[in-house]
Amino acid sequence: MLVMGEVHTGLLQNSGEIPESTCRDVLQLLSGERVRVSRRPIVYAVSPDLLTGVDCRLPSASQSRIRGAGTVLSRSSITGGRVVQGSSFTRIERSGSDRRQPWSHYLARPGVVEVLGKVKSRDLADGFAEDPPADGLDLGAISARFLDVVQSSPLLDRRAPFKIARTRLRWVAEEGEPAIRFTLHSEQMRTVRLVHTGEFTPAVADLCEDLALHDWLLTALLVIIERARIGGTPGPEAAVKLAPAVDHLLHLWMPSARVDDVLSAYWESLDRRPGFTRQWQSLVDRVRDQLAVHTLAFLREKSGGGAR
Amino acid sequence: MLIFAISDKGGTGRSVTSTNIVYRHALQGNDVCYLDFDFGSPTAGAIFSVGSVARGTTRKGLHDYLLGEGAPEPHRVDVWTESDREGLRTKPPGAGRLVLLPGNEGGGELPAVEEETLRRCVQLFSRLDEEFDLVMVDVSAGRSFTAEMVLQATVRLPSVPFRWLVFHRWTRQHIIAADGLVTGADGLLDAGTRFGHDRNALRDRIRFVRTAVLEPDAAELVGLRDEQRAWLFACDTELRELASRHKVGRTSMLGKIPLDPILQWREQLISDEDVLASKIANAETAAAFDDLAKKIVDDAAWEGL
Repeated sequence: MLVMGEVHTGLLQNSGEIPESTCRDVLQLLSGERVRVSRRPIVYAVSPDLLTGVDCRLPSASQSRIRGAGTVLSRSSITGGRVVQGSSFTRIERSGSDRRQPWSHYLARPGVVEVLGKVKSRDLADGFAEDPPADGLDLGAISARFLDVVQSSPLLDRRAPFKIARTRLRWVAEEGEPAIRFTLHSEQMRTVRLVHTGEFTPAVADLCEDLALHDWLLTALLVIIERARIGGTPGPEAAVKLAPAVDHLLHLWMPSARVDDVLSAYWESLDRRPGFTRQWQSLVDRVRDQLAVHTLAFLREKSGGGAR
Repeated sequence: MLIFAISDKGGTGRSVTSTNIVYRHALQGNDVCYLDFDFGSPTAGAIFSVGSVARGTTRKGLHDYLLGEGAPEPHRVDVWTESDREGLRTKPPGAGRLVLLPGNEGGGELPAVEEETLRRCVQLFSRLDEEFDLVMVDVSAGRSFTAEMVLQATVRLPSVPFRWLVFHRWTRQHIIAADGLVTGADGLLDAGTRFGHDRNALRDRIRFVRTAVLEPDAAELVGLRDEQRAWLFACDTELRELASRHKVGRTSMLGKIPLDPILQWREQLISDEDVLASKIANAETAAAFDDLAKKIVDDAAWEGL
């Protein structure tokens, strides 16, 4: 019927980036299952999928009381040894019967929540974009916990190079005529409404995680530039404040790196408008230009005032 | 960094001083948040002039969050956008974020420290430390389960730096009580050691802040008779001796806030506008807050005693 998910993205709480081997150890949340790692074009490590059992109210724009039971699929990942994500999603399907089934039934369908009773797909999808009710399905809380598990690993030194808020990206995918809409809500909240042709595949979740990752990078870079107050503070001070961006963020931009070819058109459309890569590039240029200007000023100062 | 604000007794000006420190720290360009853990009387909303949460929030506040009552995240208030005071409603250029996490309206003190509550507290501190340069926690007055909870939480977060500020007024009773709160039976050091802190290391992370201090040479005292001034001076000298005997003296003091009429009549943030434009606040008070806001993160002010 539809799939809903939420991805939380944050800065790994470590002074520097961590090597691939440490990524593996940190993500070993479930013993016995392997952490998957890909190395090109950027090191990406992802934990085994874990299931959370849920039996609760589902979101509804019309405030109807819809009950669902089943499991949510979640995972944690680390990109470039620097950015951490907690991601959860579940497929919402109509139940074959009106009665609540034993857990064995739901466990046989990992990542599926069955709706008990009548439901409209549109009502669910519209409701999901809003904050979940207190007793409702809260994928964000599950994703946040998967992010916490990584951040509290004893293998990390917790001396992150700068403070930055996590962002959350809530997404809904439905079948139909291909379309995507990305919306910025508050400082940390984003939603994606995606329509895909054919059956849902986990590649859609990968796409949303990739979008969340790049949106976080863009947000973090904007925050760092704002804090530097270019023009409002003396050059050397601004340069010092921009340095963390160069040390930790600028090399991480790899849009669509892990996105299935079938879905890359979605990224391309977002790159045309609103134009993620365009904004990123202009910010990167700004940071580098600032550093260049500062270097020139510094050199001029050292050579005793230059054109005297 | 986590800063815990505590006082020996109520009415010391703990909340108004700690909110002003946080406000100044934000103006200095840092991202800060303020946690109202004074569950019995959550009034931080009023000090920040956020009318909707003046006596705590009716939504999911810190109290609900810690007790696990249906709140995966506690309610946050962005002071720069939600304050009713016009002077606070625009974020000054270069200032950092200023976020308030209010308590619940009618919440009540914690009945005990359950494992689940403690786990949530650790999770909250850990998440906020990721996001904010400074997290100020108003722990309320005296010995409480809240103080025990944060002492235990910091044991579980060994790599998150924390510090304690003990607020007291400059009177005989307050000096003795402030010392008692730290070193007395079941005080901060006793309780902290019981939960796994190293006593000496914890001692090094505690500093005193004097509030509503009237200096004998203050300008306000010019009208006093010579006898009165001599008496005040003698009192002050006596208090200094008492304070140093109780190890609440100058070396363990982080700062002092002068007596300011505006703070006696209304607990509020003192903005530069209050000092320069309307002139209802004294410049010394704002300067004292500004100085404290720098000192709480200045390692030199926190070197071992």
